[in-house]
Amino acid sequence: MTKQTDPSLVEWVKREAVPEGLEFKALRENRVSVRVRAEDVEKLTERFVKKFGARMIHATGVDMEQSGFDVVYIFDFSKIKERLVIILNANLDREQPKMPSVAKVTWQACWAEKELKEFLGVDTAGMPDPRHQFLPFEWPNDVESGSKEGFVKAAKNGGGSPSSEYLLPLGVTPQQASATLIPIGPYHPGVIEGQLVRVKVEGEQVVDADIKTGFHHRGINRLIERRGYNKGVFAAERVCGICSAAHGLAYVTTVENLYDAEIPERALYIRTLLVELNRVHSHLLWIGVVADVVGWKTGFMLTWGLRERVMDIIEAITGNRVNYGVWRLGGVSRDVPKELAEKANRTVLGLKEEAAKLLPDVVAHPVLKSRLVDVGPLSYPDAFDGGAVGPVARASNWKIDVRADNPPHAMYDPKKISWEVITEDGCDTYARTLVRVRELFVSMGIVSQCLEYLAKTTGEIRIKQREVEPGSEALGLNEAPRGELQYYIRAGVANLPQCVRIRTPSYRNNALLPHMLLGSALADVPVIMGSLDQCLACTDRVEVVDAKGQTKAMSWDQLVEYGKRVKGVR
Amino acid sequence: MSSSHIKILKRILEKYSTPMTLKYPSSVDASKKYSQIPEGLRGIPERDKEKCIGCRACFFVCSGRATKIIDIADKRTVQIFLFRCTFCAHCQESCPEEAITMSKKFELTVSTRSDPAAYVDTVLDMLSCKKCGKPYFPKKFVPRVYERLMEKINPRVKETVSADFKKVEGLCTECRRANSFELDTHTRKHLWLEGA
Amino acid sequence: MADVLFTLLTIILIVPVSLFLGIIYAFLVRKFSARFQWRVGPVMRMYGDLKPLLGASRILQPLYDILKLMGKQTILPETSRKTLFVASPYLSLAFAVLVVFFIPFPGMPLLSNTPYSMIIASYLIIGSVVFTILGPVASGSPWGVIGARREVELFLVSELGFVVSIFSVAYAEGTLSLYNMASRALNLPMLLLMVSAGILMFLSMLGKLHIKPFDIPEAECEIVAGQYTEYSGKLLGMYFLAKAFMLYGLVALFIAVFLPPFSSSILWLPVYAIAAVLVVLLLSIVQVLNPRYQIDRALPWYMKVIIPLGLLSFIIALVIRLVM
Repeated sequence: MTKQTDPSLVEWVKREAVPEGLEFKALRENRVSVRVRAEDVEKLTERFVKKFGARMIHATGVDMEQSGFDVVYIFDFSKIKERLVIILNANLDREQPKMPSVAKVTWQACWAEKELKEFLGVDTAGMPDPRHQFLPFEWPNDVESGSKEGFVKAAKNGGGSPSSEYLLPLGVTPQQASATLIPIGPYHPGVIEGQLVRVKVEGEQVVDADIKTGFHHRGINRLIERRGYNKGVFAAERVCGICSAAHGLAYVTTVENLYDAEIPERALYIRTLLVELNRVHSHLLWIGVVADVVGWKTGFMLTWGLRERVMDIIEAITGNRVNYGVWRLGGVSRDVPKELAEKANRTVLGLKEEAAKLLPDVVAHPVLKSRLVDVGPLSYPDAFDGGAVGPVARASNWKIDVRADNPPHAMYDPKKISWEVITEDGCDTYARTLVRVRELFVSMGIVSQCLEYLAKTTGEIRIKQREVEPGSEALGLNEAPRGELQYYIRAGVANLPQCVRIRTPSYRNNALLPHMLLGSALADVPVIMGSLDQCLACTDRVEVVDAKGQTKAMSWDQLVEYGKRVKGVR
Repeated sequence: MSSSHIKILKRILEKYSTPMTLKYPSSVDASKKYSQIPEGLRGIPERDKEKCIGCRACFFVCSGRATKIIDIADKRTVQIFLFRCTFCAHCQESCPEEAITMSKKFELTVSTRSDPAAYVDTVLDMLSCKKCGKPYFPKKFVPRVYERLMEKINPRVKETVSADFKKVEGLCTECRRANSFELDTHTRKHLWLEGA
Repeated sequence: MADVLFTLLTIILIVPVSLFLGIIYAFLVRKFSARFQWRVGPVMRMYGDLKPLLGASRILQPLYDILKLMGKQTILPETSRKTLFVASPYLSLAFAVLVVFFIPFPGMPLLSNTPYSMIIASYLIIGSVVFTILGPVASGSPWGVIGARREVELFLVSELGFVVSIFSVAYAEGTLSLYNMASRALNLPMLLLMVSAGILMFLSMLGKLHIKPFDIPEAECEIVAGQYTEYSGKLLGMYFLAKAFMLYGLVALFIAVFLPPFSSSILWLPVYAIAAVLVVLLLSIVQVLNPRYQIDRALPWYMKVIIPLGLLSFIIALVIRLVM
């Protein structure tokens, strides 16, 4: 399972991809970690993206206390060499963390670099969007004017008044704003979770848009760092309610990559079963939400009625409807006995019939189609440059799927389970709907095959876990219902992780939202937001850096100091 | 009305007479009220008072920091605070006496935090030290530990360990430490005995 | 003299009766929508141990919702023009109640005997809707403004269909009094007219009552609550009361003009009730089966429907008028 990396692959990386590398280390499962100089990162990114056509997964940073900051840039090369992922490590000085910005080269890094700046104070030169990522825009600080159009110089009036910071990127004065600026959020009945999307309208047409997240901080990274590997599974599960199983699988995959683990085959089948059931319920939920946003409450009720059957199966297998709680390091904790597997299989087949009767009619409804076709277009070059993941990318005819490229520790071997990756070339909201509906049926097929296998065989489901070597690092990827999910863990001392970094698919897709909103009608805005399947609980999962109750306002430097102190504490 | 409208109307009318919702919380038909609860539901954890020995394994393993050990006078209370419980069943897996089961109860609502329904309490009696009088271990803990130890111990040292157990019986940890050199299993003596 | 007294008595009586019926129609819309969505919906006959808590039936639930609103705090936004903002709900309610006086009920002709009662009723309906536009505009919030603008566009087209259908029947009858229209006999050509104009009137009712696919001004998911965003407490309660009266008024108008002679004498009361329930059932089916249209697609759809049906109705009316 966690096989060691072939040395020839490390040679290839040394020769072709990163000749400037200082140190090469092979991690498990074809991941290669390269230490480079901070100035080289921009050049390397350009080479990877333009010459090799690789994808950037994420960019994070780790506070190494005395040794400064380690910034980590992760690139996906799985289309070029099988399952290869290159991790670039660069060290920055703690007092003056400066490096050239990568976001100029590829937009994928934009939100990642904003996050780096927010937490560690890493100063990336030439960043296109220097505003706060999670803190409110009007946090007391001076914002330089960027060179991109749409920004205006902030009026410096003693700490930054809310109106000037708020309206900064859309170039309107407060008087104009009350006539043309429509705020959608943070509380709005059309969007499920809190976010602030501001659209500038003329009549019913949107001419400019901006998004702000950060309302759902819970500090789960930190929680896992303090609780340890075993208890961290339950914290990782609760990052998101809808895609809870995907987070569980990604977390156990990552920690099992830190030590040698041969997971028993029955456990792999059970894991696949749970993740695919999760996908079925998530897509049914999404179809209901899109119907509700368009105004069709009946569509919402009918599809959620089908979803209840799926939840019943999940409850019977795992014991809980939402947070499954069966993920353990080395396997799963509950077995699926024969009668339960057979009964569940009958239910799933019945459900497939019902869905096959209902969903094509729902999706072909003329009024629904008129609201979805040609709405929120995202062409293939835009998707590639912006870094879309999941069904959003697959609807723009870009065939990426983590289950085929970089499979996690579950059973996705095409020789044992037959399934396929669905793409459409419509590039609009209707194409995304079709991708999700077809994926639903593929997932139900996978579930049926797993249940058949589980009913016929027996075996062990869990192996004992081993010790983790301090200082090792590992990367785990999984295909959540919304796209590619990444966990990056570095092991520390005393059986606790030193750093846990999560990058959820909605983090990427939400960054593309302002681009997709331009030129659409106001009534289409919630539809487009719904089509991205935003899971904002996933987006804002990183650590909250909040002012303590006593001090109401901190300057930027004070805040960065506080962040460094908090992250250095064990 | 287009054909999709007609088709959807037909689908709706097919299942018109069996709504998907249940008559909860009315108990008109009590079997129907809980009819959808499956067998393996992880509900409120329940601890069997006879089996629990107060070993605190559940306290160390609890993911949500919901289990607390409260030692007052000569009673040890093992308490689960249900507001923090994540129902992960870690305590069930790690209990050596299999005293915890996850019941099928899921109705957790209470009006105030101090309502006893929000806590799962097990109260155990503790032994008091013969010398200084302080309570130290729960009553069932020591004999059970002795039993499990004697099952698995290396037969070469069984006699010595058993004899030492009798010597410290009834003493708290402080008082044992005071006279520990009298024990044959003291570290210095043991290395001496086995031949370093 | 006895006539005048009788009319006065019935006018006073119709107000609670129409409110009661409007509430029951609203309840039925909710109940039918729920049953068509595989749910149970609001409960008509309470069961078991919930009976002492909640009463024997929740059929007056919409009324309880309105009464609850009356007891809540009314917040006046700072950016609003206070007089118009506060006066609009009351005026809208007043017009809606006045509409009810001009539509016949079985056994109570009320004021529909007057020669121009149809025109008066149409104008009162327009008046009630106008104040659901002016109030939100005065509130100063972008959601209200967008909702009001959508209401204006929707209202103009649905009013066109309404006027065309009802005037074609009036032309064929040769009378503008609703009572005369409601109490005449039927023959075959009139039946054809009833069908074509009736369909047109039904579709216009969808626009007036904000039934999907035309609940565009109140699009909850897009513009918060549309027109009613800034309203709360008593003022919102007044708007909902006006809606209840309008629901009764439009259903009664439909039955009076297009399903004669159910509204004429008191012996027709059971049939009137059944006809009302059927109309409400039809409205619920349309509401359940359709998502919401966008405003720029709703208008062309309406024009595609009004023009052919309107022309057809007028031609039939002309033929009837010329031949008889």
